[in-house]
Amino acid sequence: MVHDPIVRKVVLDVLKPHQPQIPELASRLVACHGVDHVGISLAEIDQNTESIKVQVEGTDIKIDALKRCIEEMGATIHSIDEVEVVKSTQHK
Amino acid sequence: MRVTGAAAISRRYFVMNAFDGALAALGVIVGAWSSGPIQPRFIVGAGLGMSLAMGISGFAGAYLTERAERLRRLRELERSLLVNLDSSIHGRAFRTVVLWTALVDAMSPALTALASISPFIMLSHGLVSADQAVFISITTILITIFSLGAFTGKVSKENVFISGIRMLSVGLITAFLVSILAR
Repeated sequence: MVHDPIVRKVVLDVLKPHQPQIPELASRLVACHGVDHVGISLAEIDQNTESIKVQVEGTDIKIDALKRCIEEMGATIHSIDEVEVVKSTQHK
Repeated sequence: MRVTGAAAISRRYFVMNAFDGALAALGVIVGAWSSGPIQPRFIVGAGLGMSLAMGISGFAGAYLTERAERLRRLRELERSLLVNLDSSIHGRAFRTVVLWTALVDAMSPALTALASISPFIMLSHGLVSADQAVFISITTILITIFSLGAFTGKVSKENVFISGIRMLSVGLITAFLVSILAR
């Protein structure tokens, strides 16, 4: 019996270029593995970039996969501001 | 493509270079027609050479200038984000758009010029007379020029007919000047 923690929610501070725009980025992120819900709010806007808060919820979020999805869009994670993890039980 | 705003630049390249190709073909045909008896072989040879040269020039010119401009913007964006964007959608879009705009820049003048001289290919095979070839060719060019003008009018949401006439008048002035010069 192994207890694997499952990530259910992450809040990220992300720096992104103006393109793709927030709705498109959210649509791409919600398609990532284990993600069910994405909420993005704009924190700051610059000449070439935008700082955004990305709230991701899901049944089993893989942080590395999520990071790859974000980087694929040309964005970069500044910090992980919040995480919610639950304990699961799996037979291995 | 949406990431880089390639649609607008492709439209510009298409109109600008198709217009170039049409006017160059008009110059060759009106010049040849005004200077003496029509020699279809020379017009076809000159036209094919011109199409090829415009195609290569368009591809190389657009590829190099567009690549330089877009690479500068990509590196600027990388400096702002402090990441390498080569494997992101920005890097992929950069490579696709540079190739796409170069192809548009190559194909639009080459195809317009080729379409304009095609009646002379028919003439060299005895399918039409010399006068018919000149008439079909010049009519094709003028319709192409008018359509390009109308297209710019559609893009700018102006009167398409007036935009078409505006561009057509440039073609007619060019034809008039070439016919005087070639006499």
